[in-house]
Parts: sequence; structure tokens; C-alpha cells
Amino acid sequence: MKKSGYQRVKRMTLFMRLNHWVVAVCMVAAVITGLYIGHPYYQTLIAEPAVDKYVMAWNRWVHFMAAIIFDVSSIVIAYLYFFSRFEKPYKKLIPNGQNIKEFWEVFVNLITFNRVKRFDSSHEDSFHVVFFTVFHLMLAWMLLTGLQLYVHGLGSGMSSIGKWWPAMLHWATDWTVVVTGGSLMDVRVSHHLTMYYILIWIMFHIYYIVWRTIFWREGDISIVFGGYKFKKSKSSQGA
Amino acid sequence: MNREHLRGLFSAKSARVDTNRGEEYYNSLFERCKKRVEELKRLEPVNGVDIMEVLEDEGVSRRDFLKWASAMTATLMLPASFTPLVAEAAEVMNRVPVIWLELQDCAGNTEALIRSDGPKVDELILDIISFEFNETLMTAAGHQAEEQLEDAMHHFKGKYLLFVEGAIPVGAGKEWCTIGASGETFEEHLHRVAKDAAAIVAVGTCATFGGVPAAAPNPTGAVGVMDIVKGKPIVNIPACPANPANMVGVILHYVLTGQIPELDSLLRPKFAFGYRIHDNCERRAHFDAGEFVEEWGDEGAQNNFCLYKVGCKGPMTFNNCSIIRYNESVNWPIGAGHGCIGCSEPDFWDKYAYERPMADANIKAPTGGVEKSVDEFGLGLLSAAAVGIGIHAAISAFAGKKDEGDE
Repeated sequence: MKKSGYQRVKRMTLFMRLNHWVVAVCMVAAVITGLYIGHPYYQTLIAEPAVDKYVMAWNRWVHFMAAIIFDVSSIVIAYLYFFSRFEKPYKKLIPNGQNIKEFWEVFVNLITFNRVKRFDSSHEDSFHVVFFTVFHLMLAWMLLTGLQLYVHGLGSGMSSIGKWWPAMLHWATDWTVVVTGGSLMDVRVSHHLTMYYILIWIMFHIYYIVWRTIFWREGDISIVFGGYKFKKSKSSQGA
Repeated sequence: MNREHLRGLFSAKSARVDTNRGEEYYNSLFERCKKRVEELKRLEPVNGVDIMEVLEDEGVSRRDFLKWASAMTATLMLPASFTPLVAEAAEVMNRVPVIWLELQDCAGNTEALIRSDGPKVDELILDIISFEFNETLMTAAGHQAEEQLEDAMHHFKGKYLLFVEGAIPVGAGKEWCTIGASGETFEEHLHRVAKDAAAIVAVGTCATFGGVPAAAPNPTGAVGVMDIVKGKPIVNIPACPANPANMVGVILHYVLTGQIPELDSLLRPKFAFGYRIHDNCERRAHFDAGEFVEEWGDEGAQNNFCLYKVGCKGPMTFNNCSIIRYNESVNWPIGAGHGCIGCSEPDFWDKYAYERPMADANIKAPTGGVEKSVDEFGLGLLSAAAVGIGIHAAISAFAGKKDEGDE
């Protein structure tokens, strides 16, 4: 596997890779079921009695399950941003000279179609970390608006796990109503629109990784499967 | 964002209703209420109307009245032991003076009260309230009417309940909405009458959130009562029209306890707006089953399927109409085959009242002006991103440089 002149660079731990694919599966599930909840786009057979179908209920169940796995994963990722023993992504977010320069160079690399490349591409760069942070912020927004929509169904103030759950959700998410425009519908519209922003993010993410793989020739796409990419050992690129 | 906004941001109260506060609480409340009702009984009635006579004239038996009293006790979330007290409170309701102002509106709330075919207890109770002033119902006009208002405000200073129906225009052109011979604007009129009120009850969505007059582009700058009147207890009873049962509930609560009922973050009484339409809807099973009315009059409509796909906003609307319905429980919009239009929520005309699900709702583009549905807007963004990526990919393929490798 290892060619002479190439060196393996570990970029993702086993946990990070597992998390990536869990999130990816949840994402697909949440989008498919979320679109149905927003506008039921297929019909259920009229001849069947209602009790056999439960189509909306299953869609919502899958949506909530995907969401809660998402939420837990997001909390873990937020923790790892600061306390990971592998790489602490927050270090690349601090707007110091080094990070700003790196961010700019990676961006230049993208818009010059890899004709200009003045950074070490073997390690995670500032541009990519900012890009992923945007994703996590959008997910956090989905988490908060989604839980706000969810808690509407707990109007009695009770839940199967106790009163603290709806109380906590109100405490944590009621402000989303105010900032989105003052009505419950605004939260719903925002939740739906943010899905589109996330889909755009995903499109670019997949494109960018494939693009890096093709143009950098360092096997970037294998990071998420095997955890490693490959770096030319005798290159003149600065470290 | 000013301080008021920030305060609202962090003090939003949930719609949670505490229906059981323990025996001790209810015992002391009962004593307090009893004392208050007895005090009221000692007062001279403001008008000579006696509830029992009115009920008898309309053919409502004592038994029907007591049935109503127990239902109202439950609506107010009080224990059954309060029923006799609620009945007594209803009998002394003519001791509480009410001034009813009508501003920028269609008089729909008054109409809802007086046009019911075969008035039931709720409507009759409102008959016996001492309406000191109500533009639509009173016989006086002009200077005479104004005198009556002055009289009532003077005589019951600090004691009257002020009911407000209709939005208040505060934008450009507000001077066109005047009332009375002196040409007072609605805003001045409301401020003047509100000053000496014990509490204000905003009835209907126009008075609470601006309602239809405040719908985009809101040409008169219409706002609700709570937006301009400060420093007074305000109860909002939105809905278009507000349910008479909820109006009676608020007045009864006031008569009984001398206080306004517990409110949610939008100042709506929790006993009425602590429920989501969707959760008590008779068509909810069809929602869960995925059985929807696809178009008006289709097979699903004939089978009372869920109206979500033709725009029902029950899942985001808090009101008790799915429980108590309208016109003494005869029917309500969803029962009649049309989805909820969220008429008791803020901005309902722009954001709720369309016969499509939310994903097909028109939203304002960030540039303003052109309206697109959420999905159209989202798909537009997706397409733009796809085109951008395609261009980048094409130029990369032709002009990009691949890094040196072992070829």
C-alpha cells in the first residue's frame, strides 16, 4: 500500500470516522423524513385502515431518532473541539496571524484550481476547520429549532421521562421563536430553510473532498474510511 | 434590539399549565374567592339585569345553568368543589362594570357574541355584564355617547374592565382613524380610557397582535393593545373571532378572584391557550396514519381525513377550540372540513392562513418584494450552489494543476 516516497499521516481516529458515518446516515434519514413531515409527498393507501399505516407517525419517529443521535453526537463533537487528545480543532479557529494566513492560502488554492499551493496540506487546515464549524453551528441551530417544534407537542408540561424535559426544552429553546420573527411558524420555516443550507454544505463538502483527492493526489478521500492520507516525504512543501 | 426585547427573549414562559397545585392552595383560594363573591353581593348591581330572570326568559333551566357552571369550573382548571362558587360569581357578574372599545376591526367579536342562533349560557352571561359603553350595541350616539363614556370612566374609576376589540393604527395615516366629535385618534382614545381601567382584556387577534389590519404591508401601522399600553394588567384573548367562552372565563376569573388568570408569554390565559389544537383534534389519528385530504371534496375529505396537506396549522396553534369548539360546542373549523388557519397566533394572516402546508408557504426573499415558497427558495439556492460547483469543476478539469506524483 505504502509507496516509496509517501508517508502515512493519521487524520481521523476510529471514533471520528464512526461518528462521521453515523452523522451521514442520520442526515439522510432526517432529510427524507423531514421533507415528508413538511409536505407529505406520497400518499398512503386509502383502502387500508388507519391503524395499520401510521405513516406520518413512523416518519416522525425516524426523524426524532435521527435528530437525537445527531444531537448527542454534536455535543460530543463540541467537547472534542476543545478536549480531544488527537487534535483540538478550536486551535485552528483562533484568528491569529498564522491561522488567517493559512485560511487565506487554502482559499487561494481552491480558487486558483490548485495552481497556487503554499501550505502544508498534510494536516487539517484552518479553512477546513472553519468550514466544518459552520456545519456544526447549522446543526446546533437545527437542534434548537427542532426541539422547539418538538416541545409544542408537550403542551401539558409532562413527558414520559418527567416534567424536567419539556421545562428544560422551553428554557433552552424558547428564544428561537423571538429571533426568527416572533411566531411558531417562523421557527418552522427557519428549520426547513436551514436544511437547504445544510444540503448545500454537503454538496460542497463532497465535491471539495473529491477535488482535493484528484488535484492534491494525497488520497484525501481515504481519510474518512481508513483514517490516513499520504504525504510526499521528499517534497519541498513547507511544514 | 432594546431592553424590552432582551427581557422578552430570556423570560419567555412556557404554555405549561399546572392543573394540580395541592389541597392547601385550593382551600385558601376557595376562602379568598368566597370572601370576594360575598363582597360583590353586598354591592349594588350596576344594572338591573338578573341572570336568573334572563336565563328563564330564554328557556335555560337552572339545571342547564349548573351544568354550564361545572363546565366553566373545569375550563378554569379549578376543582369541582368550586362549582357553586362559579355559579354564584356568574350571578354577581353584573357588579363588574365593563367598557368595550371598538377600534380598527370588523366588529366580528361583538358579532360572535350577539349573532349566535339560540343564545346559550355563555352569550347570556355576556348579556348581563354591565356594559357601560359599547359602540356597536349602545343606542346613544354622538355627544351623548361620549358623555356616557365620560360618566362610566368617572363613576367606576380604577374599577372597570376595559375590553378592546380591534387594532390600533400608529403609522402614517393614523389620523384618518378617529372617533367621536372631538376627532380623537384611536391611539389617544385607547390611552385615555385605559388610564383608569382595572385591567384590559384585548379581544380578538386584531386587538392582541394587530391581526388582519397589521398584515403585510400593514398600511396603517396597526399594532395590538400590549404594544402601546404599558403598566396595566393586560389579558389577550386572540382568535378570529375570540371564543365567547374564553371571554366569559376571563371575566368570571376576575369576578371570582379579583385577579386576572395565569398568562403565557403572549399574555394569553393558560386555561384557554395552554393546549395545542393538534393534540386534541378529532382528526389526529388520520395525521399519524398519513391519511390526508389531497384536494377539496376528494375521497379523503369525504372520510374526514387530516387537513394538514390543505394547510391546517393545528400543529403550531395554541387554542382550546378543539376542546370547547364554538357556539356552545356546535362545531369548529376543522369539524366543518377546513384546516385551522392559526387565527390565535401572532402574524397569522401572513404566516398561517394559506391552504398549503408550511413547506409550500410563501416567504419573503431576503431582498424583500418577491415572494417564493420555502421549497422554491431552497431549491433555487441548491441549484445556484450546483452551478457554482459545476463551473469550478469544469475549470479545474481544463485549467487546474494536479500535484506532482509518481506517474
